[in-house]
Amino acid sequence: MPADHQHHPLRLRQPRHKPDPRARRWWTVQALVLPSGPMLLVAASLFVLSLLFFPGALPWLGPLLAVLTVGALGYLLVMPRWRYRVHAWELGEHAVYAASGWFWQKRRITPLSRVQTVDTVRGPIQQAFGLATVTVTTASSAGSVKIAGLSAADAETLARRISDAAQLVPGDAA
Amino acid sequence: MNTQRPTGRSAAQWRTLDPRTLAVHCSWMGAPLGSLTLTALATGGRPGTGARVTLAGIGVAFTLVTLAQIIRWRRTRYRVTADSFELCTGLLTRRLRTVPLHRIRNVDLTANPVHRIFGLTVLRAATTGSSDDRHELTLEALTRPDAERLRSELLAHAASTDADDPVLATADPRWLRYAPLTFWVFGGVFAAAGSSYRALDAAGIEPWRIGFVRRSFEEFGNSALWITIPLALLAVGVLGSAGAIVLYAENWWKYRLEWADADTLRVRRGLLTTRSVSIERSQLRGVTLREPLLLRAGGGATVRAVAGGLGDRDENRKRSVVLPPAPRAQALRTCAGILHSPESPLEQAEFTPHPRVALRRRLVRAVVWAILPTAVTLTVLGVLLTPVLLYCALAFVVLAAPVAYGLARDAHRSLGHTVCGRHLVIRSGTFSRDTVALRRDAVIGWTFTRTPFSRRAGVLTATAAVAAGEQGYRIPDMAADEAVGFVNTVSPGLLDEFLDDESPDRPARQSANPPRRW
Repeated sequence: MPADHQHHPLRLRQPRHKPDPRARRWWTVQALVLPSGPMLLVAASLFVLSLLFFPGALPWLGPLLAVLTVGALGYLLVMPRWRYRVHAWELGEHAVYAASGWFWQKRRITPLSRVQTVDTVRGPIQQAFGLATVTVTTASSAGSVKIAGLSAADAETLARRISDAAQLVPGDAA
Repeated sequence: MNTQRPTGRSAAQWRTLDPRTLAVHCSWMGAPLGSLTLTALATGGRPGTGARVTLAGIGVAFTLVTLAQIIRWRRTRYRVTADSFELCTGLLTRRLRTVPLHRIRNVDLTANPVHRIFGLTVLRAATTGSSDDRHELTLEALTRPDAERLRSELLAHAASTDADDPVLATADPRWLRYAPLTFWVFGGVFAAAGSSYRALDAAGIEPWRIGFVRRSFEEFGNSALWITIPLALLAVGVLGSAGAIVLYAENWWKYRLEWADADTLRVRRGLLTTRSVSIERSQLRGVTLREPLLLRAGGGATVRAVAGGLGDRDENRKRSVVLPPAPRAQALRTCAGILHSPESPLEQAEFTPHPRVALRRRLVRAVVWAILPTAVTLTVLGVLLTPVLLYCALAFVVLAAPVAYGLARDAHRSLGHTVCGRHLVIRSGTFSRDTVALRRDAVIGWTFTRTPFSRRAGVLTATAAVAAGEQGYRIPDMAADEAVGFVNTVSPGLLDEFLDDESPDRPARQSANPPRRW
């Protein structure tokens, strides 16, 4: 077996469908809410405070704040685009196939016969952008698939198609 | 599945917990009362205001808790009907839970020393898909015969034919020699010392005031350090080893692993706290052979069952251990017995090694995460404060580098994966080298993970999802070219519809668009 694959290695292709383009904006807002916004706020307020009251601290505080700012801005600008390039999903005949992550990228394949539940989740920020996340759970937490950044309509259709398909395929979800 | 049972749905009687449970619940009073007694002794029977307030607080808490326990005890009742187990509980809100018998996967009986004084035992029943509390039923507590009977009623739907050789392993006093190789010997002593100091402190006793302790410390400081420090280390080592042996005995006394019937694997063990864990065969997805660094050096190993329905991750870690630290050969025999195969796939497996670049990645990790932080910190402090630290940094690097190299080499050598008959076998780890054999049909999904770094190195990590044990079992850093093919061998057909049609083409074409194909 191994010798055969060394000549013609099997490879996975990209899942067929991309998330909704609005997902990029959603991820940007998310990044702004969690790490980037607070980081920038802290950097700005520390800078102003030290400028006003402790100008002597600037020489060593300045570089630290610069690193913080660059990190926050970098994450804010890079993560959503990178993530959008990686994310993709596909509902096959027998399995769900999804790619996610940005730096740590993962591709997960879960057979429909093992699907236990299909949830559609819409967080507050997602609702503002008209997006939704479909979560497919299995008996193993390492087998659950999350397809994020779908348009609400797509998510609903997908969730229905997955649950229909999961019931069609005979198998033991446990 | 529905065996004839004398009791029908309506005829089944509600049963209650044993009233002695109430006495067991009072045992929490032990610690505060003990500490108060110590205070009373230390103060010569004239406790201060603080102690009086504590005493009053304990009294009030005791009354409230006991009342609550009485109500809970009165309201808890259970019965086994023809096809389900019903449990009625609730202190404030009443709850009736009905669990179909065929969903009950394994039943544990646990008794801590207090339970055992009163002849009681706690019964825990886990149901399918148990990874949280909702799926677990706990009855605290029943008399031992009641608990045994209830367990056989709950598991009666399983067939009860005897296996060929039901007993897989029993306790062997010679295994005690592995005990010091498992326990965190030095750390354990310091942890124990710390907690006893805290206990004395809470009782108002200051150990530094005790003449004997003070004298010995003064003498320790005055006499030659080159002899007292090794002696102290030796003493700590001996104490730690003794503690490890005691712990081993407490956990594994009268240990016995057997097929209770053709479908139930049962572990019994324990000296003061007795444990009995039953695992149904349909829930058994595989085994893990664990060889922690020290134990491996001593030629020993432990075995865990990879089984569903053993509770959440922590519970699973406690309950899945089916063989204590024992000789490796015994561990392999036990694995074979659990997997019901004449020869253990763990032994037969010829592992596919992982590419050499995996070694480089481990070396880089060791340098970046273990050596650099300490070395850089010491150097910076050395430049700022005193040159002595610079020498410390140099010594650290010189000493740590070979160790890190050795560990990285070992970690790389441990890596391996293969298919052995019905099983997928994965080996990895250096601090604990774990060899896992999973039933291939129990793998319910695959994940491939990579980072830009691993992509450049041409490796990726594949994770097999299993509804048991650790949930996901990783094959770290396997050759990217080989990963998909290997997964295809383990779970044939699963990947077919997502394979790249062009992949059987020339390797030259694969580099045309590398980011998209894995």
